[in-house]
Amino acid sequence: MMLLPCPWCGPRNATEFRYGGATGARPDPVSATPQQWREYLYTQTNPLGWSREGWYHRAGCRRYITVERHTGTNEVRSALDTATEDG
Amino acid sequence: MSLTTPDPTPTTTRARPGRLAPQPGEVIDRRRPVTFTWNGVTHRGFRGDTIASALAASGERVFSRSYKYHRPRGLLTADFLDPGCSVQVGDEPNVRGGHRLVEDGMVVSSQNTWPSLKFDVKAVNGLAGRFLAPGFYYKTFIKPQRLWPLYEKVLRRFVHAGEITADVSGGVPGETFDKRYAHPDVVVAGGGPAGMAAAVAAALAGSRVMLVEEEHELGGHLRWGDADDREALRDLRAQVAAEPGIEVLTNSVVSGRFDDNWLSIVQRGLPQVFERLIKARAATMIVAPGLIERPYVFEGNDLPGVMLSTAVRRLINLYAVRPGSRAVVLTANPEGDAAVEDLRRAGVEIAAVVDARAGDTVVRATGRSEVTGVELSTGARIACDLLVTAVGWTAPTSLLNMAGDRPVYRPQAARFLPDPQRMPENVLATGGIVGDGTVTELVAHATAIGREAARRAAARARAIGEAVPTRGGDAPALPNPDPTPVDVPVLAPADHPELFQGSTHGFVDFCEDVSSKDLVIAVKEGYDSIELVKRYTTVTMGPTQGKLETVNTVAIVAAATGRTMAETGTTTWRPMYAPVTLGALAGRIHEPVRYSPMQSWHERHGATPLVAGQWIRPEHYGDPAAEVRAVRTGVGIIDVTPIGKLDLRGPDVAQLLNLLYVNKWSKLGIGRVRYGVMCAEDGVVMDDGVTGRLGEDHYLMSTTSSGAATVWEWVEDWLQTAHPDWRVHVTPVTTAYASINVAGPRSRELLAGLTNVDLSADAFGYMQVRTGAVAGVDDCVLWRIGFTGELSYEIHVPASYGLHAWERLMAHGADLGVQPFGVEAQRILRLEKGHFIVGQDTDGLTRAYSGALDWAIKLDKDDFVGKPELVWQQEQGVTTQLVALQPDDRTTVPEEASQILAADGRIAGRITSSRMSPTLGRSICLGQLEPALAAPGTVVTVRLVDGRDIGATVIEGLAHVDPEGARQRV
Amino acid sequence: MNGNGHRSANGNGNGHRPAKLRGYSAWSLVQHGLSRGDWPRTWHDHDMRDSYDVVIIGGGVHGLATAYYLARDHGITNVAVLEKAYIGSGGSGRNTAILRSNYLTPEGVRFYDRSVKLYENLAADLNFNVMFSQRGHLTLAHNDASLRTMRWRSEVNKHEGVDSDVIGPDEVKGLVPYLDTSPDTRYPILGALYHPPGGIVRHDAVVWGYARGADANGAHIHQLTEVTDIDVEHGRVTGVRTNRGRIATKAVVNCTAGWASLISDMAGVSMPVQTFPLQAAVTEPVRPFLDTVVVSGTLHVYVSQTDRGELVFGASVDPFASYSIRGSLEFTEGVAGHVLELMPALSKMRLLRQWAGLCDMTPDYSPIMGPTPVEGFYVDVGWGTYGFKAGPVSGEAMAATVADGAPPEIISSFGLDRFADGRLVGEKGAAAVGH
Repeated sequence: MMLLPCPWCGPRNATEFRYGGATGARPDPVSATPQQWREYLYTQTNPLGWSREGWYHRAGCRRYITVERHTGTNEVRSALDTATEDG
Repeated sequence: MSLTTPDPTPTTTRARPGRLAPQPGEVIDRRRPVTFTWNGVTHRGFRGDTIASALAASGERVFSRSYKYHRPRGLLTADFLDPGCSVQVGDEPNVRGGHRLVEDGMVVSSQNTWPSLKFDVKAVNGLAGRFLAPGFYYKTFIKPQRLWPLYEKVLRRFVHAGEITADVSGGVPGETFDKRYAHPDVVVAGGGPAGMAAAVAAALAGSRVMLVEEEHELGGHLRWGDADDREALRDLRAQVAAEPGIEVLTNSVVSGRFDDNWLSIVQRGLPQVFERLIKARAATMIVAPGLIERPYVFEGNDLPGVMLSTAVRRLINLYAVRPGSRAVVLTANPEGDAAVEDLRRAGVEIAAVVDARAGDTVVRATGRSEVTGVELSTGARIACDLLVTAVGWTAPTSLLNMAGDRPVYRPQAARFLPDPQRMPENVLATGGIVGDGTVTELVAHATAIGREAARRAAARARAIGEAVPTRGGDAPALPNPDPTPVDVPVLAPADHPELFQGSTHGFVDFCEDVSSKDLVIAVKEGYDSIELVKRYTTVTMGPTQGKLETVNTVAIVAAATGRTMAETGTTTWRPMYAPVTLGALAGRIHEPVRYSPMQSWHERHGATPLVAGQWIRPEHYGDPAAEVRAVRTGVGIIDVTPIGKLDLRGPDVAQLLNLLYVNKWSKLGIGRVRYGVMCAEDGVVMDDGVTGRLGEDHYLMSTTSSGAATVWEWVEDWLQTAHPDWRVHVTPVTTAYASINVAGPRSRELLAGLTNVDLSADAFGYMQVRTGAVAGVDDCVLWRIGFTGELSYEIHVPASYGLHAWERLMAHGADLGVQPFGVEAQRILRLEKGHFIVGQDTDGLTRAYSGALDWAIKLDKDDFVGKPELVWQQEQGVTTQLVALQPDDRTTVPEEASQILAADGRIAGRITSSRMSPTLGRSICLGQLEPALAAPGTVVTVRLVDGRDIGATVIEGLAHVDPEGARQRV
Repeated sequence: MNGNGHRSANGNGNGHRPAKLRGYSAWSLVQHGLSRGDWPRTWHDHDMRDSYDVVIIGGGVHGLATAYYLARDHGITNVAVLEKAYIGSGGSGRNTAILRSNYLTPEGVRFYDRSVKLYENLAADLNFNVMFSQRGHLTLAHNDASLRTMRWRSEVNKHEGVDSDVIGPDEVKGLVPYLDTSPDTRYPILGALYHPPGGIVRHDAVVWGYARGADANGAHIHQLTEVTDIDVEHGRVTGVRTNRGRIATKAVVNCTAGWASLISDMAGVSMPVQTFPLQAAVTEPVRPFLDTVVVSGTLHVYVSQTDRGELVFGASVDPFASYSIRGSLEFTEGVAGHVLELMPALSKMRLLRQWAGLCDMTPDYSPIMGPTPVEGFYVDVGWGTYGFKAGPVSGEAMAATVADGAPPEIISSFGLDRFADGRLVGEKGAAAVGH
């Protein structure tokens, strides 16, 4: 599989990671309408192109990272630690 | 060269096909003869012979019967690709006879011929060939439809392939498959002159190189060349041998190139290991596979005795085999001309040389079981037993295609060539796949490519090293690559006439028995794109995967559609480049298994094992009902080590628990435990367990066994991505502790003598947690909880003392009649008590209110995961409800997943758990049911798996035993 | 069809009589063999009209079947099928051709059972042998949880009249002698869901048969025609733009897989799908030894043997969303390992080729079918890994939806609105590997 450039561990085979997908922002749970909440649950973006998505380095540093990946080529152009936004 | 004057009649005394005197480049070792059998008959060969060359040396000409028409087939390429030479070797099907070396005692047979190779009755298919047009099966066997299964059985009898004969249950004893990981700087795919030169140059530039060659030794076409070629080969081999940075892998193939130069290399012929898969992450790859000679399409082109020029040159020069007695040679290039010289030297009478460059060609080959004559475009008919063609080359661009390249057709060179513009940065190509030249020119190009590959590998190593923040200060210095790309000399393809098909129809795909006529028919029927032709006729879908056939197919389809070859394009080249055994892909199968520290005790005491995900657990020790009774009346202990455990520390743990569980946690005092339920954001029940507060900022969370890994990642997810400011540290401690549940009315009595913790009801009440020593082991955690519904203590012991604690409990409890119990007894106990199991009594769509969790869900919390869905579920009411049921017939236990029917016969629910209760002496169930039927006292219909219907009554609450919970609170 | 006069299910409003498909038989094969004459084209090329009553996007089994049933059942023949490559180039030609109806939910079972019934009669209906081989389908259970799910499925199947039952290891061994059913394996075979009507079909033949049938009834199949945009005015579809020009139409059916959300986005309709590659692989042929289709959900693998002797392998979708169909080494390693767990004797068989297709996965492992908030824009998407099985019934149901303006009962659970309403379909419960 492709390599993901983990900001802590360097480039590693994607098999070391769990894919988290391109989740949208969580709506306010108090004011969200069912429509809004279910859009958050079920309708993620599905672009053919650059996508910002979460990956978890489960067989490595166990950090969640935010990756910019091209869904057509699997090319990766950035990877940051999600919590610290460190690259 | 012009057409020699054909001599239509053979001379009377001819050299017969067979072994020649020693040849200067031969690879056979005449001092080491080997004996093997071919269809039961003993044959002899030499070490270094392939199966094909040894048989050819014995004068064998027919090696197989063809796929569809069962036509006799002989050697065509005499190498790995030879479509006529797949044989069965012992228990191994589809062995490439043109590649596999003979060994002493080898048992070789032809595949699927009946009754024999020489006389195959299925060959009548050949007579019916005019009716077996492409896609004939789509057009017939339509009516009557019920007969299709019978037709199908007949079709399956005709499958032409080897057999799986190994022991059905155990595979092949004594043979292993293996894997290896490698991180070379440069992988060179192809060990001909260009590959060798590229490897040497890359190694001299400091790279660690893997040089991968499909054949049994390095050298490529130099091996069957002239004296100058052999001299060049000796020199290149010496250079490779002198470079310690080069690892040479022969009899090995780069079978695939995946994202980011993840390469699969299959390595064959190792001692003890049948095949090894090397997984290499190469910084750069150099593709140097050389060229594949292309067959020519004309009538009779599949007859035994029709061969490619490289095949005869291999047979003569490498194996000292005379491939025939009297030859006609069709040549369009210097290699074909060289074949004429080789044949002459081997004593083969040259009946005619047909020079395609002068416009002459072969019309058809004639003969029944082998070629006996040739008809030329001049009208001449010539008797011969060997027809050699040299009409052009195919660049095997598969690996480049896998890397994203789209080769372009070059009419002047009559072949597809890589498009350098589309090659990724980490892939380079050299040798025949790029262009033609003298050995010196090939080596010059390859040397530059090798240096460039090394330069790019070094640049990559530096970029990666600089990007890793954890790289230590004392790490070795990063390479300092030259920023200037290496100047690569031009290696242009030589001009070559476009020769694909003569004036007659012949076979295009020898594996699949697809002719040029079939392709034309397919186009006329509307299957007019290359992919549709492929699917309709199965051209290129056989074991050679298009390496011999694709370009001819493109040419014929282009002609039939009136398009150019460039417009027609090729079918997609997909991995594998070379077939790989399932064994090598699987490697040594490592399926992880987890055991608790008490496993040896369980095995010694007759536990029946239960596979529970990765864990192997005791299902029972002989009599689960007796185990249940022991827990209800005395005391039992169960190994619950697989329960997931997370150690949580920090000032914000309570906040985290409040977010992840539907319950409230802010008021949980130190020394208390609470049961909690987790939902996902869609409100669906995800996991449950208890969490205890051990100290001010210290908690121990438990999860279900199967949910341990998921919940850990879930906790980290919320902490890292949503609340990075919260101060919580998470440590998974599932296997740091061995966990034992001591359950039953006498559990306090049993434990009392083994712990320093005060177990009195006042000091250590229900749903509390204590830490202390158990069986002399410090730092144990004790939870007083009740999954079984009895007084019970769950003890978490540092794992290395787990067996010790278990044995002490058993020994100490002997007087009390302590009984080990397994998972089955625990399931019965919890069902009697009405405790649900996530994933069994709930499913992937069960929101928390459907799990009868109203008491736990705290909608007055500002937020928790899944809250909005639960708010709406509460407002709208549930669509399904967890209930406890008791069959009216006390002795009938409906199988789990039995359906519950509404009065109108509709499915209204199902039994999720069911057992015979040893405590009540009756059958008991949990089920999911429509709310209209869920009121206590409702009698519902349960459809048993044998089709009978029985009544069952919904009871109050979920507990069948002790609904007040008195037993666990003592 | 809305506003176009053809409302009834069988109302051939324009007087169209479905073309009788004939011409292929053993007899005609002999005649052609003797005369050496050319067969007629299976389908024809046409110039593109300025407008069509219905434009179907996607020339796979779903799109072509929809065109076929629009003509056969509803007399709607002014129909274009737009295919950006060649027909059957997407999921229809990349799947592992397994058919079955042993689903979990009653609505799922009824739907796929209708599809199997249509498949059983398809060769005669289309006069094209699709080689449906009902050789039986086994889903192995390696632990008590999956055995319970198999039982759940078989009980629902039986209730809906579908032949399906849970069988024990000995019966499994009887059906597939090469399976290692000994109890001491890492994943012991505790039993299996046995579904005799399941089997395999020649997937390309289904595509070609429907194409031939749709073509004979007047539909235009436009290959190499890529949709670039969909025109929507005042909430209604008015046309489709392609690389070959604009087509005016009031009805568009999105029958794509892999591109479901991209095409729907053109009409301004968001689809709750994520696109994942699904890989498959095939071995070299060996003599037939495996009659039934074998699936293991726990091991994420399914295996069948073609009439050509090849073993065809599949697994679950790739672990991350992507439009790349280059495939991975890990897939073949995993599938080989799992096949050898089940059938250790196959270690010397060789894998010949791997490929991949694209699957639009929905949150509840069920399709999205029917109208959308944009009038005249219909979807038949979100097929996950099971679209091929549903081709005939989907074509039939989508044709009815377009003709009547409303979805028929058999697909009423699969509407797009179920997500906003939180009424997901329960197939998720059984779908570890849904083949």
